[in-house]
Amino acid sequence: MTMTEAHAIKTKYLNGNGKFVVDNGNADMTGSTGSSFHIPPPAASRMKGGSANTKRRTVQAISKSIFVDNRNINTSSTIKSQNDKNNNKATTTAVSSNTFWKSENTNYFKFTFYKIVLAILFFMFGIFRYGQLQYNKSKLKILDLLYNPSNTPQLIRQDVVKLNKIPSRLAAILEVKPIGDVGGGLKGILNDASELVSWTISAGVKHLSLYDYDGVLQKNTDELRNAIYEHLSIYYGPANVPNFAIRIPHFNKVLYNKKGQGDIKSKVAIEVSLLSNRDGRETIVDLTRTMAELCSNKELNVDDITVDLVDTELKQLVGQEPDLLLYFGPSLDLQGYPPWHIRLTEFFWEEDNNQVTYSVFIRGLKQYAGCKVNVGK
Amino acid sequence: MSEESKIPGHYFVLSLLKNLFSRTLRASNNVPRHVGFIMDGNRRWARKNDIEVKDGHEAGFHSMSRILELCYEAGVHTATVYAFSIENFKRSKYEVDSLMDLAQRRIRQITENGELTDKYGIRVRVIGDISLLDKDVLKDIQDATERTKNNTRATLNICFPYTGREEVVHSMKEVITENYPLEEINEGLIDSHLYTGGLPPLDLLIRTSGVSRLSDFMIWQGSKRGVTIELLDCLWPEFGPLKMGWILLKFAFKKSYSNNKEVIDEDDGEEDEEDEDEEGSADKKKYT
Repeated sequence: MTMTEAHAIKTKYLNGNGKFVVDNGNADMTGSTGSSFHIPPPAASRMKGGSANTKRRTVQAISKSIFVDNRNINTSSTIKSQNDKNNNKATTTAVSSNTFWKSENTNYFKFTFYKIVLAILFFMFGIFRYGQLQYNKSKLKILDLLYNPSNTPQLIRQDVVKLNKIPSRLAAILEVKPIGDVGGGLKGILNDASELVSWTISAGVKHLSLYDYDGVLQKNTDELRNAIYEHLSIYYGPANVPNFAIRIPHFNKVLYNKKGQGDIKSKVAIEVSLLSNRDGRETIVDLTRTMAELCSNKELNVDDITVDLVDTELKQLVGQEPDLLLYFGPSLDLQGYPPWHIRLTEFFWEEDNNQVTYSVFIRGLKQYAGCKVNVGK
Repeated sequence: MSEESKIPGHYFVLSLLKNLFSRTLRASNNVPRHVGFIMDGNRRWARKNDIEVKDGHEAGFHSMSRILELCYEAGVHTATVYAFSIENFKRSKYEVDSLMDLAQRRIRQITENGELTDKYGIRVRVIGDISLLDKDVLKDIQDATERTKNNTRATLNICFPYTGREEVVHSMKEVITENYPLEEINEGLIDSHLYTGGLPPLDLLIRTSGVSRLSDFMIWQGSKRGVTIELLDCLWPEFGPLKMGWILLKFAFKKSYSNNKEVIDEDDGEEDEEDEDEEGSADKKKYT
């Protein structure tokens, strides 16, 4: 609690002269008592860091990994690996990575020699990586200029009409970023999510799944609905905002439009599902538990459990498999996205990209349509 | 790396470099412990080079053994390769038969030559729904597993015939038949009943031929947070040790950065440190 509070204060402080990322006034957000801006601990810990001093920290981290790592000097390695074993007993057979050094009885000089070669190797790779990073960043900037929806559905429509097929179900992995960064904090992820919803509606895709590991979106549905409504009224004009439905499979809830607008059950332009880590492996575990109970009560036969049965159940619990999954991070990491639902899903992400931008969205659709997208590669 | 060259000692120098490289990587302590491969593009490669499909698969096999050699040398403990999907049974009878035949020969090749398996102490396991296979293929598999079962330094999983969904359901069924009390059923339990249970968790997943899908390969393991997925544009037979070495270097570089980043972040952070965070970084340190 102290930490989140500290963050809230810090944020105010940081953004004192700009716009407020976190507003202390909306106490109805989560209903928590002490701090108005409450994010569960895992999310809060992810908000640390940010892009300040990245270069210095990178160099520090890498050099530390090369030089300040003494676990391989023979005396300590045995104790360490024993500790490893005790800790990992439950999950793995604990094959510690240092068996090599023990088995070949390496002396200290040989060890130092390899460490020095490694330092040289890492140094060269680091220089290459820096160049690559700059190249990718400028490429992304150019792409951002090339593809700019400027808040008009017609422009998006024009981009999409050229494609010979579009996915019927789209999914995206979003992340809560450190508050100090561009597009960070809760406001940032809400903004990203509603931008995506607007693009998806404009592109004519009817289903969108938004995934974030900690379920921040699931916990802030009211804010999300308002943010989507605001964005859509910018895109379509306040008079004809399309209807949208928000589904939270985990709570088995469907919400329509902005809060307070009632349940308009007429045709919706888009159905947005909010998913989190909870809908992935945990849900499969829940299903196993339920099936185990049914089996022990003799209501279900173990041999009747098939891939098809599990598939039907999980489709009901979580939803359908998406055709295309967009990831807005620097290198593909599925972040615990429901495993059952990524069997044949196409992935798209841009290397070293860290922003939710329209260029990634449209290039993802282009890749799905089978166009050649590797411009400049 | 296998280009022809007339310079004397060419191969010697190459293997020396390879050795130096892999041992250096080992010294970083940030080599993936478990690597998964989707070996895609053998047929396309054969078509591209105007040779028979069979030879394309042969080339793919050679490229696999060279890559595995580098991996094991660099300290990878487990490699899992996707040889045959359950979905492949839906192809024509002729094609299925030839694929079966090929896989059977591959398994024999790996163990009978014994070169790779003995040199690196590799235990060969065939994972998947083996009840779908013919009797004589099953026998070969049993022979291969039997021959190498005492090797402990490394593991090679051959997925044959396999799908990720079948693996998950298989694990669920095992858990259910073993009658665990309901409250004991958790993620770890399902994890340990997968075909890859008891092996180090998947760190790196590589797919060739420019397709950006998992195609039902290790969906449970690969979707976890922190698993690096590399999708490459080249066809599998073109994917040599050089490219693999590059990926390993990239992985080690990234890993050693992210392992230490948290620690440094904490040193930098002024007042807002929490017990939870410290625990997290202690966990990270363990793997450093």
